[in-house]
Amino acid sequence: MRYVKLPKEMLGELFEALKMFGEVHAPVKRGKTFLFTKVSSPNEASLNYNRTMLPPKKYFVRPLEEILKVKVGKGYEPVVEEPKRIVLLGLHACDINALRVLDSVYLDEPEDPYYQSRRANAFIVGVSCEPDEYCFCKSMGTDYAWTGFDLFLHDIGEAYLVRVGSARGEAVVESIKKAMSEPTRDDFLKLRDLELKRSKMFKKELNASLLPDIVDSLYESDVWAKFSDKCLACGSCNLVCPTCRCYDATEKVELNLEDGVRLRRWDSCFMRSHALVAGGLNFRPTRLDRFRHRYNCKSSIEPKTNTFFCVGCGRCSAFCPAGIDHVAVLNSLWGLAT
Amino acid sequence: MSNNPYLPKLARLIEAVEMTAIEKLFRFEFVNEEDAKAFSYKPGQFVVVSVPGVGESPISICKSPTRPGPLELLIRRVGRVTNAIHKLKPGDVVGIRGPLGNGFPMERMKGYDIVLIAGGLGVAPLMSVLQYVIDRREDYGDVVLLYGVRSYQEALFRDMAVDLIKHPEKTSIKAFLSFERDDPVFAKLMEERPQNVRKGVVTVLFECADPYIKPGRVCVVVCGPPVMYRFVLRELVKRNVPPERIYLTLERRMKCGIGKCGHCVVGGATAIRYICKDGPVFTYSDVLAVRGLV
Repeated sequence: MRYVKLPKEMLGELFEALKMFGEVHAPVKRGKTFLFTKVSSPNEASLNYNRTMLPPKKYFVRPLEEILKVKVGKGYEPVVEEPKRIVLLGLHACDINALRVLDSVYLDEPEDPYYQSRRANAFIVGVSCEPDEYCFCKSMGTDYAWTGFDLFLHDIGEAYLVRVGSARGEAVVESIKKAMSEPTRDDFLKLRDLELKRSKMFKKELNASLLPDIVDSLYESDVWAKFSDKCLACGSCNLVCPTCRCYDATEKVELNLEDGVRLRRWDSCFMRSHALVAGGLNFRPTRLDRFRHRYNCKSSIEPKTNTFFCVGCGRCSAFCPAGIDHVAVLNSLWGLAT
Repeated sequence: MSNNPYLPKLARLIEAVEMTAIEKLFRFEFVNEEDAKAFSYKPGQFVVVSVPGVGESPISICKSPTRPGPLELLIRRVGRVTNAIHKLKPGDVVGIRGPLGNGFPMERMKGYDIVLIAGGLGVAPLMSVLQYVIDRREDYGDVVLLYGVRSYQEALFRDMAVDLIKHPEKTSIKAFLSFERDDPVFAKLMEERPQNVRKGVVTVLFECADPYIKPGRVCVVVCGPPVMYRFVLRELVKRNVPPERIYLTLERRMKCGIGKCGHCVVGGATAIRYICKDGPVFTYSDVLAVRGLV
């Protein structure tokens, strides 16, 4: 890994260099929470944040988008969008790993061309973080981003120790050489100590070893109903989840009855319609079925990245209106008091 | 975006043959010759059919790739899209994506006796296997068909079924038929061929088909309504048919057909599968490892 050191007062230089690549989006405080949105200066960005409500997936699989143009009764044409380069500044390790999981689905053959184009045109800048009461990325092994970024900024006090993760990242660093310096041995020791401190700060812990087998084999456990009885089946957890990627597709026809669009929009496995087939058969007819399905899906391992489908970002727990905590559900399954 | 997997290829309806009150056999031909040439598939694969302005629906191919000519899809009028398909007239245009899914491993099945077990509309994907095996007759052993239907009126390919049973000498296929409702046509057939026709669900046929199910040399191919699999599997397990030679083709809700949209995801946390991409054909070994497959 190539490392460089960026004094914090030089963040503006990096920001300008990133702007040369594309529109910069970063976490910004809105009300009680944060969201990724366009920023024009580093001051607008909150690089010390716990989590955004919506994860970065919104840039790649949009909440609602047109994928095809429809000529009623005649056929289809693809919706072609001009590739737009963006910089996502300030992604946490969990969200970077979540993008790798999304990649494993959307870039698997046959590639999703919409996702592929947006992903190729996005420059990813990670930033180090400290866990809050919802974070459990350490348990899932996703507290560390070892790949999937162009640059990764580690806050070591008065400077960022920057890991350079790609040739594109290298080029950006090269363009602001003057603002950077070579990290010293002390800087690396600082990084080491801060990382060790961070790793001791986690309040939530989930035993991830054998987790897929525990969740699968204890399918009949009473624990599921205990929590699914409280679940409102609203699907918030799906919307805020950085790896939830189910989408629904529909067609909408204009009033002229000639033109239309095929849309896709985020779907949720908590909706009754998710596994319903024509004729009325539902493969997951009850809320309990759907609740267990989500936990099974999230507790499974993506074989290409060897990463859990859950990256431990804590969003589903932080934003659940019924107060259901992902870790508490699974710890109950482990037979641990919560 | 030239390789957009969501973009359907255009096909024109050649004809729609009424099979029952709610099912028709549709023959489609690709509008562009290149699309027709590029379309090669395996028995058991499916396509996603679009009616422009209405939407998409996954449909299995009801014809063997060994037979040239238009694409054949047997479609029940049951939802929004399939109702729209049923209203199409010859010359009307639809979109086709595919072929999708894994299909049956016809190569691996070579040399074995082939036992086909179909319930109702489940005969549609199995027709591609049946025709394939008939066309490559020397590659396979005995061919046995166990076909369960509700009644003559509701039976698909009923003339073929009656013919296979009445005139076993005409083909090399050993056919057995079960029917659930009182029905004069099939009742009469049962009188004529008591060894081949039974009243009840498809599993009642195991008794008469038993001499032809030799565990050491069969590949069993099953398709029917979801409820059917458990009962059929029980009978096959009782007869010691090896799990890896029992093939099932399954259905689920699908939006993309290419492993993205997530609707057809099945399984426990140790084994998550996409019916569209990892299937729709699975073995009984898969059923044992993947929770909720049947």
